[in-house]
Amino acid sequence: MTGIKDKKSARMRKAVYCCVLSLLFVLAAPLIPYVIDAHAEDVTSSKANKPVALQHPGINLWNDVRQRNEVTQGSSQVKGVDSGILINKTGEDWRRFRMEMLMPYGAYFMAAIVTAIVLFFLLRGKLRLPGGRSGELVCRFTLNQRTAHWFAVGIFWLLGITGLILLYGRFVLIPLLGADGFSITASACKEMHNLIGPLFLLAVLALLVLYIKDNFFNRDDITWITKGGGMFGGHVSAARFNAGEKTWFWLVMIFGFLLCITGLILDFSVFGQGREIMALSHVIHGISALILITVSFGHIYLGTIGVEGTLEGMTTGYVDANWAKSHHDLWYEEMSATAEEQQGIKQSVASSSTKPASSPAGD
Amino acid sequence: MARMKFYCDAERCIECNGCVTACKNENEVPWGVNRRRVVTIKDGEPGERSLSVACMHCSDAPCAAVCPVDCFYTTDDGIVLHDKDTCIGCGYCFYACPFGAPQFPSSVAFASRGKMDKCTFCAGGPEETHSADEFTKYGSNRIAEGKLPLCAEMCSTKALLAGDADVLSDIYRKRVINRGASVLNWGVQYKKAGIDG
Repeated sequence: MTGIKDKKSARMRKAVYCCVLSLLFVLAAPLIPYVIDAHAEDVTSSKANKPVALQHPGINLWNDVRQRNEVTQGSSQVKGVDSGILINKTGEDWRRFRMEMLMPYGAYFMAAIVTAIVLFFLLRGKLRLPGGRSGELVCRFTLNQRTAHWFAVGIFWLLGITGLILLYGRFVLIPLLGADGFSITASACKEMHNLIGPLFLLAVLALLVLYIKDNFFNRDDITWITKGGGMFGGHVSAARFNAGEKTWFWLVMIFGFLLCITGLILDFSVFGQGREIMALSHVIHGISALILITVSFGHIYLGTIGVEGTLEGMTTGYVDANWAKSHHDLWYEEMSATAEEQQGIKQSVASSSTKPASSPAGD
Repeated sequence: MARMKFYCDAERCIECNGCVTACKNENEVPWGVNRRRVVTIKDGEPGERSLSVACMHCSDAPCAAVCPVDCFYTTDDGIVLHDKDTCIGCGYCFYACPFGAPQFPSSVAFASRGKMDKCTFCAGGPEETHSADEFTKYGSNRIAEGKLPLCAEMCSTKALLAGDADVLSDIYRKRVINRGASVLNWGVQYKKAGIDG
């Protein structure tokens, strides 16, 4: 009997142990994820230095939407350029460029050049003709060349001023004109800029055709540049155009054509160009425009009040022989050699008059 | 003060374009202009999702920052609006906006841009509330009537929500909890849903 009793009590004991164990297991069950988690953390931290092993479940979707991995092109029932793209980040880059770089640095750049020119003028004054006027006139620019130049000048400043108003007007002109007044001004500027803009291509093409012949750099330009263009005194030889003028010509060509190409992309927005292309075009357009505007200050200074006797070459077409000898001696010698055939040199009767007696045949 | 926001739930949007139609009808938006659009990514692939997008009424709105005539303003409810009388149609807001919200009617001479049009959160514009001028230029002003934008009100699956940001985030938080995206089984439900495929 005792044997049976022992067997029974042993079974009871086993049952109690099982109950206690299963109770313990049930109680401890909620801790299991933490144990696994702690274990997983151990494994990951020992394998690599990645503190987080789990990704956000929607990470692929939102990475695609935010264009983080590559440009994800979705689709939309609304047809239009870029309508399948939810988020385009280039706009923010463009905003930063325009507001934090183009506007402040453009203004600094222009102010620096203007200050430098004013300082130079105060120090050196107007560069007078050595030996005064000779009364002898030399044909410098043909009517075609002058027309192309002034056509380009007109278009350039029309576009330059309207463009600068659109760039800086919000901060400079709204306080002066008020919101409504500036809106009308800006609207007129935008329309004029967009309508007149394509004509600048014609102006740049005309300048290219009419002026390229004498604007190729050669060995004389190196000496001209090393002597600083005679800015610090001393005489420097130059042909029809000196290295400075040639540089200005090529700047106008390079940035002028860049302005035209990007301007046409921005102006005619109906050819399916997206925001990236437009924003990039605007960046190139803005930089090119500010470079040409600032450098043109120097060109205008030297062509008007900076150097005596220069402006009349572009208005009447003729310059004084002393001006030619002083600034473009190589060209003057060349002209004198072929003076008779070209009728380039005119002897005026009265030395006080600078007007030519009659137009040359080539005009 | 309320901070008005749109929220589109990618788990609920079924690309029915009801919001687009509602917006066009309510505001009588001109041809070629869509203030709201539905974009589907991974169309026909596992993990396909659709989202309805319009002006997000940003706090630091890029359009307002770059506008050369400063025609944007933010209402007390945080709605970004603009003045079409001041707008010159330069397109800068279109370059700056990440969502492609600003729209330009192209029925002007030489196909140049007309005055910009965008989602107003159905809050009209600077004209006198409920005037004919306001409706012609900006569409309806439901906010003044105490109503929310029609696109969200019409949404059949309630994917598109509009209203006070605090209320919207509460609604969305409850949805996320109900979907079972708790910390312990993070990702499991989303994997089943194929979003992480």
